[in-house]
Amino acid sequence: MTGPGTRERVVVVGAGMAAVRLAELLVAGGRHEVVLLGDEPHAPYNRILLSAVLEGTHDPAALAMRLPDGVDLRLGTRVVDVHRAEREVELADRSRVPYDRLVLATGSIPTLPPIRGLVRVDGRLDERVHAFRSLEDCRRLDAAVPGARRAVVVGGGLLGLQVARALAVRGLATEVVEGGEHLLRSQVGPAAGSVLARGLRRLGTNVYTGARAVRLVDEGPTCRLRLDNGHTLETDLVVLTAGGRPSTSLARRAGLEVRRGVVVDEHLRTSDERVSAIGDCAQRGDRTTGFVPPAWEQAGVLARHLRGEDATYDGSRVVARLRATDLDVAVLGDPTTAEGEVVEVTNPVVGSHRRLVVRGGRIVAGTLVGDLSRIGLITQHYDRGTVLGPTEPGHLLMPDRVTAAEPAVLPDDAEVCSCAGVSAGAVRACASLDEVRATTRATTGCGGCSDAVRQLLRTRTTQLEGTPR
Amino acid sequence: MSPTSVAGTRTHCPYCSLQCGMTLERVGRALEVQPWPEFPANEGALCRKGWTATGLHGHRERLTTPLVRDRATGALRAAGWDEALDLVAGGLRAVQEAHGRDAVAVFGGGGLTNEKAYQLGKLARVALRTSQVDYNGRWCMSSAASAGNQAFGIDRGLPFPLADVEQADVVVLVGSNLAETMPPAARHLDRLRERGGRVVVVDPRRTPTADRADVFVQPVPGTDLPIALGLLHLLDAAGAVDEEYVATRTTGYDAVRRSVAAWWPERVERVSGVPAAQLRELADLLAGSERVMVLTARGAEQHSQGTATVLAWIDVALALGMPGKVGAGYGCLTGQGNGQGGREHGQKADQLPGYRMIDDPAARAHVAGVWGVDPDSLPGPGRSAYELLDTLGTDDGARALLVLGSNLVVSAPNATHVTERLAALDLLVVADIVMSETAALADVVLPVTQWAEETGTMTNLEGRVVLREQAVAPPEGVRSDLEVMAGLSERLGSPVPFSTDPAEVFAELGRASAGGRADYAGITYDRIRAGHGVFWPCPDTDHPGTPRLFADAFATPDGRARFVAVDHVGAAEQPDAAYPLHLTTGRVLAQYQSGAQTRRVRDLPDDGPFVELHPLLAERIGARDGEPVVVTTRRGELKAPARVVTTIRPDTVFVPFHWVGANRLTNDALDPSSRMPEFKACSCAVRA
Repeated sequence: MTGPGTRERVVVVGAGMAAVRLAELLVAGGRHEVVLLGDEPHAPYNRILLSAVLEGTHDPAALAMRLPDGVDLRLGTRVVDVHRAEREVELADRSRVPYDRLVLATGSIPTLPPIRGLVRVDGRLDERVHAFRSLEDCRRLDAAVPGARRAVVVGGGLLGLQVARALAVRGLATEVVEGGEHLLRSQVGPAAGSVLARGLRRLGTNVYTGARAVRLVDEGPTCRLRLDNGHTLETDLVVLTAGGRPSTSLARRAGLEVRRGVVVDEHLRTSDERVSAIGDCAQRGDRTTGFVPPAWEQAGVLARHLRGEDATYDGSRVVARLRATDLDVAVLGDPTTAEGEVVEVTNPVVGSHRRLVVRGGRIVAGTLVGDLSRIGLITQHYDRGTVLGPTEPGHLLMPDRVTAAEPAVLPDDAEVCSCAGVSAGAVRACASLDEVRATTRATTGCGGCSDAVRQLLRTRTTQLEGTPR
Repeated sequence: MSPTSVAGTRTHCPYCSLQCGMTLERVGRALEVQPWPEFPANEGALCRKGWTATGLHGHRERLTTPLVRDRATGALRAAGWDEALDLVAGGLRAVQEAHGRDAVAVFGGGGLTNEKAYQLGKLARVALRTSQVDYNGRWCMSSAASAGNQAFGIDRGLPFPLADVEQADVVVLVGSNLAETMPPAARHLDRLRERGGRVVVVDPRRTPTADRADVFVQPVPGTDLPIALGLLHLLDAAGAVDEEYVATRTTGYDAVRRSVAAWWPERVERVSGVPAAQLRELADLLAGSERVMVLTARGAEQHSQGTATVLAWIDVALALGMPGKVGAGYGCLTGQGNGQGGREHGQKADQLPGYRMIDDPAARAHVAGVWGVDPDSLPGPGRSAYELLDTLGTDDGARALLVLGSNLVVSAPNATHVTERLAALDLLVVADIVMSETAALADVVLPVTQWAEETGTMTNLEGRVVLREQAVAPPEGVRSDLEVMAGLSERLGSPVPFSTDPAEVFAELGRASAGGRADYAGITYDRIRAGHGVFWPCPDTDHPGTPRLFADAFATPDGRARFVAVDHVGAAEQPDAAYPLHLTTGRVLAQYQSGAQTRRVRDLPDDGPFVELHPLLAERIGARDGEPVVVTTRRGELKAPARVVTTIRPDTVFVPFHWVGANRLTNDALDPSSRMPEFKACSCAVRA
């Protein structure tokens, strides 16, 4: 810690969602000076909604995230080196920024699949080829949509499916190419993947699984993407969504321990105790995450740790949700590897597949495709570790019990008017609505029973008339 | 029954904030309730509580003599009024002499008339000169009050007549079960739907109100706030925000816009248990409607983040450009009969009459002038209701307590603890009409007049000041609260007299409120009698009153409404392994508040408390409908029959709070701004 009266200076490399959250929490704590160094030219925005912007359901201006007053935000600033001994970071313009604590929140970078012809001779992507990671990528693709009729999305993961649906909603004939044997292969099993593929096809999007794109041939007005299964897809646009990896080059160059991501301990510290890492770039145990909620949880833990409080991160429960029109998917935890008993309902006719993995009565993982009607309860049970009864997981996958139709004839003791506490029998004992009102006061409160009372009076009349005298 | 009878006395129901108009007629020795069809809030309709309201007239449990606790036996014994009042005044004085003025506290209620609430605040500040005065309204709508003041610069539950509901295209009820808690109000919803309008109900239980809704949203208790944030997110994303309104009539939207960028629908779904798809449908419905009205009630407000929750829903209404438009806007459905007026005239710890703040020198000077005392003699702000009770009998807190119109043992949160605090007092004085659970603990019990035996005004949920006229003579031996206060003030050597005549007190209240935010100066009993009440503010006798606020400007210094950016923190207590379920509390149709009145009315069913739970949960714990289950929280335990219903979330149980027990379970975490306790969400365990 620095001396009393001075605030510790926390420099965050990155201005994405994890960085913004951390800044918010540190500023609220009032004990830190916070500097955010973002390499994108835009003020912080909600990255996970980019596909909604592409789809047209989200105004791009609505993505801007709130950054509290007092944060020193420097945009378009690329950090090229960390000088740990001097506790400084070096920027592209060779200037240096000193820190007391450094936080790497560099996120992930898209990986380019090995497709010949993707990169032009000058080293840039073919102009028909798009990545989809940043607001800039989104704008560029958005601008290309009006001039295109067909699109191919390479990658059948969450992002790929969101982009594919967005392009289809925008009116493009869209195809998805997934190298694995089924869609969402890192999240769900083959059954869910195939239900999902059928759902997509029903929405008019072709899906090729177990197929790798190997070559792109640009032919002027259009281009052709050749797959290793012999198909060739003609298209106007190619969007690469196949995978990203933690952005670790800065950490690596700084000599910090890096495996898949920047290795951190339970306090989110790297191998240098003055340097932490959070979000997509960090690796805790053998896990990296690609989702916002765990990144925010890490930001919370780190903020408390930096304030000197005892806080540790031991991995988060993840609920991955696909955000795409007419494609309903939720994945709880890791249903492909979680151990436990499996309760599963698949209905290919309506395109739904739901699977819960239950251990010791607790839902430890789950897949919901095509039917999210009970998601509001299932995720609560999952997040809270509720111990369920033996029949509950099954019930959770059944539709809501249909309420039995009201009996044709209300028994005399059934309450008709709760405002006045009047039974069907008491109403039947009256000759007219006026009499009902005067003697029982039914219908004189909220008025909700008026129809029922009229109905009872009508049937009473019919019964009387039908009675032989 | 003659529907247009004018022979009787026109008055208003003794219970909730709707203050239904009714006529009382003498039939022999009995007193009968008849409709008053012209009164607009209820148009002659009444629920069974209203129809049976005279059930306490001549009731055998009515207290008719003061009671004092006998030193020798420890039991209460009958005493004369002079003896009782001398004892009280002497006791209060002794406590103040030994421990200072603030060692005496005064606790009022949202059921007291404006005259009594006003007089009680004056008694505290002038005769006792204690800062320690607050009331149970703090546990009613204080979160909405705090939010209204922040957003609009004024706190009037509904800034429009209730019947305006019928003109809306969409009404969103957040945490209100009005079909059971104020049934005649539901008629306005039905008329709205007959016109083609839609009703949205947000509630963890599918209540009879939700049965009338077109859209029913069923969140986890304590998550109404993120639902509002999610709606703001979607409205902004869809370009559905009324930018012109935002630009010309509000400030602060930009911060809200940026803060809700973090509340996309799937995140809201994870937190609230409301499917993202439903949130999107709701946002589309609001975005496509000309007139949207958002109404909150206790379900949204009785939380440790109740103020923030209301602010977020106000933000929704403002973003849509609604407040100030007829048939649209935001309103709070107040709960208690005089929940509105009770908070305007000085029984709140930080306020003086007319909704003036007690730390404002100009306000102090004005009110002290009306009272005829030196402004410097007035105490400053005191503790809020729960904090006042929480410190009773401690070195720091009050050692004597005077309670009017409140049954704390049943209605306070964490009630076991509050009961212990009451027991630690040197002197507890309770004025009531029957031996309530709280009166039973008192050292002195003062029997007072009830509704229909006295005259006074109430301000209903619309901000409409109505008159309850005396219809019958009180029983021998009882005195009005005003008489009790006059008797005490005299014995305490008050520098100024306290009137016992309601009309005189009301006129004085009008002068004290003049120029304040809740200005009653132009309201008289005769003006109320001549019409259907008068809406405040009404600064002079030529002023027609103000049925609708905000048409041209808000009550802020610059006339603009304030957007306030808030975030979701969640209920103070979250389910864990030991207490895995959510507990929420509320009311049933046939009972009212702590039940001190309604449980004694013969014609109202009193089946005792019950525990509502879902069949999935019932099966899990082996509970059966009608058989007892035990609910436990970190604070207490309740055993009551299970009611197994499909209308509640399976992760939530519900207990009504009209009986001793429910509030032994509830959490006393407070809202930082309104000091509202978290009645509506804590964690619990249930076993069969």
